[in-house]
Amino acid sequence: MISIYQVAYKNLLRKKTRSALTVIGIALSAWVLVSLLGFNRGYESALNKDIDNMGFQVLVAAKGCPYEAATLMLKGGTGLRYMKQSVVGEILKHPEVEKVTPMLMAAVFDPNKGEEGGISGYLGVDPATFPAMKSFLKFKQGRWFTDTEAREAVIGYEAAELEQREVGDTLLIPEKNVELKVVGILSRSGTQDDGTIFVPLAALQKIFDKKGELTGVGIKVDKRANMAALEQKLYDLPDVQVVSLAQVKQTIMSLVSTAKVMVLSIALIAILIAMVGVVNTILMSVYERFQEIGILKSMGAMPRDVFRMIWVETVILCLLGGGLGIGLGLGMSKLTDLLIRRLLPYTPTGSLIQINGRLTLLTVAAIVVIGLVSGLYPAWRASRVRPLESIRAEGE
Amino acid sequence: MKPRSPIVLEARDLTKVYTRGSEQVTAVDGVSLQVRQGEFLAFVGPSGSGKTTLINLLGCLDNPTSGTLALGGRIVFGDGKNISETRLTRIRRQTFGYIFQKFYLVPTLTVIENVTLPFAFYRKEGSMRDPLEVLRFLGLEKRINHRPGELSGGEMQRVAIARALVNNPEIILADEPTGNLDSARSREIGQILRDLNEEDGRTILLVTHNPDMAGVAQRVVELRDGRLAPEAGSPKAKARRMRIRRPSRLKPKRIL
Repeated sequence: MISIYQVAYKNLLRKKTRSALTVIGIALSAWVLVSLLGFNRGYESALNKDIDNMGFQVLVAAKGCPYEAATLMLKGGTGLRYMKQSVVGEILKHPEVEKVTPMLMAAVFDPNKGEEGGISGYLGVDPATFPAMKSFLKFKQGRWFTDTEAREAVIGYEAAELEQREVGDTLLIPEKNVELKVVGILSRSGTQDDGTIFVPLAALQKIFDKKGELTGVGIKVDKRANMAALEQKLYDLPDVQVVSLAQVKQTIMSLVSTAKVMVLSIALIAILIAMVGVVNTILMSVYERFQEIGILKSMGAMPRDVFRMIWVETVILCLLGGGLGIGLGLGMSKLTDLLIRRLLPYTPTGSLIQINGRLTLLTVAAIVVIGLVSGLYPAWRASRVRPLESIRAEGE
Repeated sequence: MKPRSPIVLEARDLTKVYTRGSEQVTAVDGVSLQVRQGEFLAFVGPSGSGKTTLINLLGCLDNPTSGTLALGGRIVFGDGKNISETRLTRIRRQTFGYIFQKFYLVPTLTVIENVTLPFAFYRKEGSMRDPLEVLRFLGLEKRINHRPGELSGGEMQRVAIARALVNNPEIILADEPTGNLDSARSREIGQILRDLNEEDGRTILLVTHNPDMAGVAQRVVELRDGRLAPEAGSPKAKARRMRIRRPSRLKPKRIL
């Protein structure tokens, strides 16, 4: 026995090309939608992961330019500002502080680097506190140094590839003519640590003649503590700049949000176009079937039966397109990821497109709602066809 | 003719006025008529005489401009009654089975699906027909899984008849059912309608301009300019006047 759902489904097979094109239109907009939602989710979580991977949430730096790494790259270390090591003790007095790690950044010009020479940066870290804070760092070879005076180095994955060093090799600091012994090489972490050369803090202070001085202190804040309050208190320390990574994240997110708004509007337009396509397709098929619909009504179909039949047709189209679009979104997420990386100025290292079950459901729901809305008018139009219209067309 | 059977349909002063451009066209002009259960009525008349408009009014497919229409004693139109499309649909599907000149089969559905399509909307509980039995009676049992495109015109009209029959309507309305068929196919359809009437006692209203078709009816009503021509004499006399012969039955058949 036949149901109106089967009738609706078979109606769509009547003009296969037209139905297929409409489905493709919906699929494309569903693809854009699911990728975009996946991107919103993925970008934020990738950024969070990047920030978590820094091991500390607040960085206290010497007053001046807070973005020490940027300064380093631009000015070759000459722009670095220093603060006294005693500040560590001051910071530890705050009850919100869980852990601290003092750091000294140093840089030299290396004439042998690249074609025209380049900057080599070193990060002096405390072997007692730094590895504990960055417990997620894994070694490809070797281990952390244990003596803070030792002339040793641990090299990030990319830095090791660039310098072509292995554990046991020596590493020369140009200008200073000091040799460091490589004791460990890190696995790829996907963070800026990959490009860093770590040196014991006291040793680096000695080499660069910066005894008792630091460029930054990383602070891990107690999870239950009020971070904003702590930041305020830290500003009371003399000559320091407090860089909250939450702020950094905010800054990056607000930069990206502009791009997101643009992409969202494009997606919205794509969906609108697909909707108009659906309305057009269904309306055409309603007009083509006026007589047939009239006959259905003479057979006893109530207006709501016809309405439901046309509505079901629309929803079938949208579900097919939506399913296809989500499939595209999942299958091509790598490609979309690549595309976004080319478009955006800054992207975190993790997967940017994260599509999960909830997002898929959300997209399907959105597409179904779109289908229901775009089906309203054609279905209403069809439900109002009077049986006589089918007969009058015959003439006498 | 069964004079004692109850009146199933009664029209009084039924009038339909169309507005065509700036012109008022009175397609049906004060027609009064009674149809008794089991009657087979043929409406004949020249083109433009209003027979299709009349049958549409009788079949509740169109609203009269004025006049009264009652089904089984219940007034559907008239008395200033304003009936909703939903109620009208309910009345139509309980009472009528329609057959049209164009068959209007759904091309994507098979014969059996087309025939059972009315069930998607309505089942006359307790009295619907077994679709396979109906198709067998109409000689379509070998065609049930074919699509309309694979059928001849005569077969398509038989499918349409089967579709009109599955909900066991009291009255069958056939508007030029043979208009698209050759004379052999027309005779076939005429025979089916006659069988349905004689063997099954079904009330049939037929519009045709084919004298042979009108000949299968018991009673022939002639329309001129939207009015009934006086029903002078017996249907046989009238058929004779119109050179209509009631054909002898081809093969006796037990129907539904």
